[in-house]
Amino acid sequence: MAVASCLGTAPARAQGSSADPNPGNITLTAGLDVTNAYLFRGIPQDDTGVILQPSGELGIALRQGEGWLKSVGVNVGVWNSLHTGIAGLDGLGKLWYEADFYAGLALSVGKSAGIGVTYTSYNSPNNGFLTVREVSFKFSFDDSAMLGRASVRPYVLLARELDGQADAGSAEGTYLELGAAPGIGSGLRVSVPVRLGLSVSDYYEGADGDESFGFVSVAGVVTVPLSSGPTRFGSWNVHGGVEFVRLGDRNEAILGDRSKVIGSVGIGLSY
Amino acid sequence: MFVMHGVRRTACAMAALAALAVSAPAFAQEAKDPNPGALTITGTVDFLNQYQFRGIRQNSTGIAVWPAVDLGFAAFSGEGGLKSVGINFGTWNSLHTGDTGADTDETLLGCACGKLWYESDFYATLGFGFGGGVSFSTTYTAYTSPNNGFSTVKEIAFKLGVDDSAKLGKAAFKPYALIAQEFDTGANLGQADGGLNKGTYLELGAAPGYSASKASIAFPIKVGLSLKDYYELADAFGDYQDNKFGYFSIAGIATIPLGGTTNFGSWNIHGGVEYQRLGDTTAFFNSDEDGPRKDQIIGSIGFGFSY
Repeated sequence: MAVASCLGTAPARAQGSSADPNPGNITLTAGLDVTNAYLFRGIPQDDTGVILQPSGELGIALRQGEGWLKSVGVNVGVWNSLHTGIAGLDGLGKLWYEADFYAGLALSVGKSAGIGVTYTSYNSPNNGFLTVREVSFKFSFDDSAMLGRASVRPYVLLARELDGQADAGSAEGTYLELGAAPGIGSGLRVSVPVRLGLSVSDYYEGADGDESFGFVSVAGVVTVPLSSGPTRFGSWNVHGGVEFVRLGDRNEAILGDRSKVIGSVGIGLSY
Repeated sequence: MFVMHGVRRTACAMAALAALAVSAPAFAQEAKDPNPGALTITGTVDFLNQYQFRGIRQNSTGIAVWPAVDLGFAAFSGEGGLKSVGINFGTWNSLHTGDTGADTDETLLGCACGKLWYESDFYATLGFGFGGGVSFSTTYTAYTSPNNGFSTVKEIAFKLGVDDSAKLGKAAFKPYALIAQEFDTGANLGQADGGLNKGTYLELGAAPGYSASKASIAFPIKVGLSLKDYYELADAFGDYQDNKFGYFSIAGIATIPLGGTTNFGSWNIHGGVEYQRLGDTTAFFNSDEDGPRKDQIIGSIGFGFSY
């Protein structure tokens, strides 16, 4: 259930290059990642077998212009997690552990700010968990114009469970994530996303009640484009990275360890 | 309602998309092509009173909602004998409000009762276009059921079609033949009929129609047959008999474009009525309190999108 934080506020991308194979107002992004472990906001889901995470998103650019409201975009997408281990084939007899559907509205305001609201339905086709429905709000700031290579692109995400619970606790929770994604490079890109996940209320319920600290993570991600520019088939990349996650007591009790190192590699498409 | 557990009921992913492709006329474009690249995105959402997969009933109450999306790659286009090569990936889904979905009787679907999402299919197609409007494609499809309405069915299908509209104009018939083979099956597992043996399916069809600037209408017609073990039916002693005739279908579908091609692609609304005449196996699956029913009428309405 990791998609919301990645995709919360990204407006449908601007169009216009003469070499652009898709100058219209609809964009497609897709990815397929392979990872050794899946933690959703620090909550352990599976660290056995192989985990495949295919995803796809359509972005609709409703408005692009000047003034204080730079752009308005709508995003709809799906994110999936397929497991060969205990949360999938080995444990539940079916590969397809998770299917998330989301729809979001994203605004670019002023020179660098982004505001987004996203509704997400987290489903489990193999009945690994009960459906969770959530609305989230994301506020982001792109400081690259001001700070150049020193930019950190900070954001704040606030998510409220409407029905169902990620922690399978006694009450719907409210989640707060503070993060940043510093990085360098526009073609080959290296980024170092940092995240802190907190419970505002009832998001990390455990034996001792709700714990405020859920996790902190830092990662290194390398993205390598497969062409120097867009082709008729869009822009493709391969990417890979390593993430170190430090867990709170509640999530440690489930994982059986205080920390986890997650490796991943995948391909991406933008069209 | 007897039929819904153990018996595979799946979707017409290819049929739905084919219907979209067939019924979408090349309307004059009011705007510059927003997507001159090699990728094409199509999507549909349809609402139906009844879902029959190749004549096999999938729900008895409520409605079915079919969201689908397809991504097409135009891998090659040229002039010689081979005109085009395309690759498609897609997903097709069926959401049910009735007895095989949100209103499930828990004795039928076990722990997955009450879940709307009855079916989710994934497919990949490699298609070739030749001169004279001839096309050939092969499709792998995995039919899965998120609410455990049936066990996963895996199938490979081959389709040969002819677009004779260049020769016949408005009288074009657009015939096709499709053969599908189930694989990776077991007794009562991984099969559309929930039968003993994996099945081989043959469909012969055509899609005559008429397109005008403001609307199009199509009359798809098809017959579904079992080449081998596709429409198995168990008798009172548990012995299975394969019935060759699965169903015959004829429909009328009207498609109305919504404003031509814009920077947001081409949108349409469409709707239609389909009549199915069922064989012995499919009539049994279509039983009600009066016993097997040989006829089924399906109404649908939806919208489509192509970019």
